[in-house]
Amino acid sequence: MSPELATRLIDALGALLLFTMILILAAGQLYRAIYAVAAQSVLIALAGAVLGATTHNLDLWIVAGITLLVKAIALPWLLLRVIRRVGIRREIEPVVPITATLAIAGGIVVLAFHLSSSLGAVRQAITGNALPVGIALTLMGVLVMMSRREALTQMVGLFASENGIFFTAMAVSQGMPLIIEIGVVLDVILGALVMGVMVLRVRSSVDADIAELDRLRG
Amino acid sequence: MGRATPWALALGQMALLVLLGPLVTGVIQKLKARLQCRRGAGILQPYRDLTKLLRKGTVQADTAGSFFRAVPVLVLASTCAAAALVPVLFAPPAAGSASPLPLGDAILLLGWLALGRFLTAVGALDAGGAFGGMGASREMTVATLVEPVLMLVVFSVSVVAGTTDLGAIAGHLSLRRGSFGAPDILALFAMLVLLLAETGRIPVDNPDTHLELTMLHEGMLLEHSGPGLFCLVLAHHTKQIVVMALVQALFLPWIPASTAPFALALGLGAFAARTLVLAIFLALVESSYAKLRFFRLPQFLGIGFLSAFLAVALRLL
Repeated sequence: MSPELATRLIDALGALLLFTMILILAAGQLYRAIYAVAAQSVLIALAGAVLGATTHNLDLWIVAGITLLVKAIALPWLLLRVIRRVGIRREIEPVVPITATLAIAGGIVVLAFHLSSSLGAVRQAITGNALPVGIALTLMGVLVMMSRREALTQMVGLFASENGIFFTAMAVSQGMPLIIEIGVVLDVILGALVMGVMVLRVRSSVDADIAELDRLRG
Repeated sequence: MGRATPWALALGQMALLVLLGPLVTGVIQKLKARLQCRRGAGILQPYRDLTKLLRKGTVQADTAGSFFRAVPVLVLASTCAAAALVPVLFAPPAAGSASPLPLGDAILLLGWLALGRFLTAVGALDAGGAFGGMGASREMTVATLVEPVLMLVVFSVSVVAGTTDLGAIAGHLSLRRGSFGAPDILALFAMLVLLLAETGRIPVDNPDTHLELTMLHEGMLLEHSGPGLFCLVLAHHTKQIVVMALVQALFLPWIPASTAPFALALGLGAFAARTLVLAIFLALVESSYAKLRFFRLPQFLGIGFLSAFLAVALRLL
């Protein structure tokens, strides 16, 4: 695949990634956010495959495959299963109103572009807008984690944030070493398992509402 | 056909849009009925409804002023004026050549649509009915959310073409057809959200109901009857097809650059195909989503706003 075509594809994928992120931010119901983050992971895997085909880097193909299997299929399935098991409230309860979150997200994107334009040399090195888009995705994932109360919604934010980090890594260094990627994916799986267990087991006595954990004493 | 006929062409396109507007509504309703396993009325039903309205007399509320009678005509006129500004069949081959639409640009188009909306709301308030006032208030609330986003979308595209003239934009985009960039994708998503809001379709408004709690647009038409209602309903059909044509001019430009009869026929065919795609999109969304609670609307339209904002940001930064 020629580099120009790859640049254009990655740019287009970046736009679609931003759109899925907007859907996650604006989702009023939990399962919609989960579908959106699954779609985002598919796009990340596609981006990895595009870059892998361009640079002939086998590691990127492997990471793309792992991303597809774990983050686009297994983890969303796990989250949806947990939702079904505990019969959780379907409405997302934001700490900050969703419209305000959307406005903040707009600010974050402008900030990300501003930030990455000061990294001129790095941005030059690689494909178009991938760096600012990656930074924006990471920060917006953090925004989701900050502005939601439910444990599962925070998991969605963590996935999105991790997707952003992966995209940034691809933009800057054409992929981190395989061992690091695998470590990160394991971290995410562990996080999802802990959250899932917490929600499944704790839910019977307490709501899995993170805001109420501030009074937890040892 | 010579070069000297841009006016005739613009007016011809306008007449085409006004005549085809009800047909598009009919097609959407038929598709919806099919998706819901009903047989549905024929696709010409909106025309029958319109001619029926023309034959009826007018009843006017005692509280309505004399301006009330003028409102439907003015709304229809402003919507038709908007229809004269969208390129449908012809776009100039290169930037700099004479515009095929000598009447105005995209900003004027948005202005005509806003004027039509404003006049409808004023008419509803003038009649003094409770539903009219409620519908007007809601419609204007939605308008404040929709119009800035529409502006942003138009700007994000016109930055590339270097002009706000829709004919020139469509001509410019027709030339570089292959390069559908990242900002275009985001702006297109924003435009699809807006399309639902501007045509009064289901997540925002329900076109099929007269249930008082859910009405936006219909609430404002309740006090009108006979030929007045005919004007307003025709204006609504026209507005729908104008917004669809705007989507096509900005994002799916495949508009022939010559005014030869064969090219015009080809343009008409392409227009019909793209409109059918958009109609299928509308019917699918309408059949698979429930209407949103009114206070949830800012959240839904926020998707459109943020997408358009990001499109502009990607374009400029």
